Amino acid sequence: MTDAKQHALDQFATFINPQKVRVMRAAGLDIIEAERSGPWVWDVEGTRFLDCFTSAGSFNVGRRNPRVVAAAHAAVDRLDNGNFLLCSQAKAELAARLAEITPGELSCTMFGSGGGEAIDFAIKLARGSTGRPRIVSAVNGYHGHTGFALSACGRASFRQPFEPLMPEFVQVPFGDLDALSAAVDERTAAVLLEPIQGEGGIVMPPPGYLAGVRAACDRDGALLILDEIQTGLGRTGRWWASEHDGVAPDIMATAKSLGGSLVPISATVFTQELREFLIPNPFIHLSTFGGSDLACAVALEVIAVIEETGLVQHAAAMGERLFAGLRAIAAARPEVITEVRGRGLMAGVQYAEDSFGPRMSYHLARHGVLAIYSGNQPSVMRLMPALVIEPEEVDFLLASLERAIGDLVSGAGPEQAAPTRPRRRPARAAGAAS
Amino acid sequence: MADWDELAEALADYTVSCNSNERLRKMQRDWSRTLHFVCSDTGVTFSMDVDHGEILSSPEGHIGTPDIVVTTHSETFCDMFWGDLNPVQKYLRGEITVKGSQEDIMRLDAISYVIWPDA
Repeated sequence: MTDAKQHALDQFATFINPQKVRVMRAAGLDIIEAERSGPWVWDVEGTRFLDCFTSAGSFNVGRRNPRVVAAAHAAVDRLDNGNFLLCSQAKAELAARLAEITPGELSCTMFGSGGGEAIDFAIKLARGSTGRPRIVSAVNGYHGHTGFALSACGRASFRQPFEPLMPEFVQVPFGDLDALSAAVDERTAAVLLEPIQGEGGIVMPPPGYLAGVRAACDRDGALLILDEIQTGLGRTGRWWASEHDGVAPDIMATAKSLGGSLVPISATVFTQELREFLIPNPFIHLSTFGGSDLACAVALEVIAVIEETGLVQHAAAMGERLFAGLRAIAAARPEVITEVRGRGLMAGVQYAEDSFGPRMSYHLARHGVLAIYSGNQPSVMRLMPALVIEPEEVDFLLASLERAIGDLVSGAGPEQAAPTRPRRRPARAAGAAS
Repeated sequence: MADWDELAEALADYTVSCNSNERLRKMQRDWSRTLHFVCSDTGVTFSMDVDHGEILSSPEGHIGTPDIVVTTHSETFCDMFWGDLNPVQKYLRGEITVKGSQEDIMRLDAISYVIWPDA
């Protein structure tokens, strides 16, 4: 290990979290990122990885996309974050673009700096607009770690240490329309869902599910909030994953890739009808850095890049190539992969055992692929490369996956680290069991 | 292959190390679980009852419904409980299998880190 890498890990352990360093090191993922470009990242020791984690789908236009970097430079030359309380040209331009590219009647935006903040505002708007308390979300859903968002999170271990959280949050199994329909009533402000569950393990909705959810919401006057933070901006081969189902929400959250891998920004996009709540309350939700002028300038270029380079269509084409390869590998290795699912460049590889997730992350890293298993479902590997990935890079990923499976099956793995202190275990007496 | 006496001795040391560690007890105060440890070579199983971070007992046999099941060679268990082995490497080689939630697996590793940071 180079001195630079050791120093970074030591500092991280001392000043941030030693157990995180220990876990990542043991798993062979103690990667300190250095150079980054397109779908690739190099660590400080010069090892190249095809980035299939992409900060959970944050790098759709690729890492340090030249056009986006240039836009950021230009913005820095003339702008700063801006006064959040003032009206802003950059915010207005980005809000107008979001109105053009989002589905249905979504046309107004509140900006934030991260996905959790976007969901927090979505829930505030739903409660404020409807005057109702209940929020229905999905088991194993993931919406961020801030207050309202965490309350809607479908993973108990994220919530429990901080309880009591917000009241009137209910979780139902994802994909079970009967359960969801039964949970929605005249006290329900909104249903909050991911169109495809990301952290939950790339869980696809059954055909007709989202349309059924929409109908259940309409039946009782509840709003539909779709969390497109991982699935949006071309990830699934459409601008928004909900387009596959022909469903338009009342409120949509987007973040991650909107910042082009360079700046934090999120947006909660909603209908004119819901904006009525904000007319008498124009200062009821404020964010110092949400939709900063710098970030809006970058986000505008991100949208331009996606649109002008045909990145949505490219993601669909590369997704077809990826899924064809994954299905072939799954067919050849049923003892390791039991299912492949997803859309576009949002792929989930379902392994036969939970432990295969962490172990395959280790082996894939050895073969030049950075991929992390799902937080809520460790038996599922998420593959979410940058949408700028080219055919030969998809093939590299597939070849690496085959090699990693070979290592997994052969029992390869890290050698036991040399002890740094004398053994504590007493020496066994001669003639004892061995 | 480790016999039951060796396992019991290792387990007793582990129990003392955990229960006497104030930092760990505070860190694990919200953690109450039943763990089963299964020796893949001898078939011996013992059950560990953890209540708010305190190891209450570790009798032999399948007792209670486990939240976590750890399976490996008896020698590996002994080395783990004595703190002579970081289990993650063996986990990644498939020599230790753990059935349970990812959070609980992470907790087990954190226990090792706190009582044997140099292992």
